[in-house]
Amino acid sequence: MDRRLRKALQGLLDPDSERRRRAMEPFVRATFEKFIRYLYRHLGNEVECEDVLEDVYADIWENPERLRNATSERELLKTVYLYYMRKRLREVYRRINRHLYLSQNDLKNLITPELGVLEIMSQSELKDALHGTLARLKARERRAIQLWMDGMSIRAIANDLRTTVGAVKMLKFRTVLKLRKMLRDSCRED
Amino acid sequence: MPDTNREIQELLADYAQALRDGSIPTFLKSLTRTEGQKMASAPEFWDAAEVVRYLNSAGFADKFATPDVGLFISRVDAKIGSRLKNARGSSRAGRTSPRPITKAQRTEKPI
Repeated sequence: MDRRLRKALQGLLDPDSERRRRAMEPFVRATFEKFIRYLYRHLGNEVECEDVLEDVYADIWENPERLRNATSERELLKTVYLYYMRKRLREVYRRINRHLYLSQNDLKNLITPELGVLEIMSQSELKDALHGTLARLKARERRAIQLWMDGMSIRAIANDLRTTVGAVKMLKFRTVLKLRKMLRDSCRED
Repeated sequence: MPDTNREIQELLADYAQALRDGSIPTFLKSLTRTEGQKMASAPEFWDAAEVVRYLNSAGFADKFATPDVGLFISRVDAKIGSRLKNARGSSRAGRTSPRPITKAQRTEKPI
């Protein structure tokens, strides 16, 4: 954890609420980029990310005790996700839940899953891990995933690979599962 | 007309699309009872959904322009301010509100 963040975190743990309020600025500056990109993983929508994060920071200000034991950036992100972000993320979806054909548990798993080894990786670590595993896929599988990550639709990928939309969906599904296994294996090796 | 009996791989493709477009609520609302059950009973779907989130993060989280931090800080500060005000207001209300009359007070002393 860098010095700036450590200092900001110390300020946040002050018992006086006004002092904690003043300490929020350096804390937000030090963590905003990381937190918003992490939230984007679950929401995929910038405006919602900002709204959720606003509440997350206010919750941290109100009850920062959970952050007392965070000694590294990874631990900080993990704590913030488990104790502050998850609650707010669930609230976003709770209001539409009564119209859904998905059980409360399944919805929770989809929106706010339990943390795996890969979940708490930083953006750059995740990119490196993905880069390494993508290189080990078959050419066609790699192409499908890369085109997807370039922002192409399934139909456009099907055109590029000269196949049907259904075949691309199946290829993507299988490749993603393969990718997961490879990612887990490489993490275990590390 | 939307497909109401999608297979697991189709559901995953739609979930990934929704995550990329930021329209997860629309995806959730589009699920039928059978599809919900299919998803619940397919562990591969949950495994694949996990990787889709990583792909989304690695592929697109860098592309969106992060909002102005200064502006965001003022939003957070305003939120904290309103919570402080609420907390103070409620504690003051607690102090100034009339005390409930106890049974002993309610009964008049005999002359």
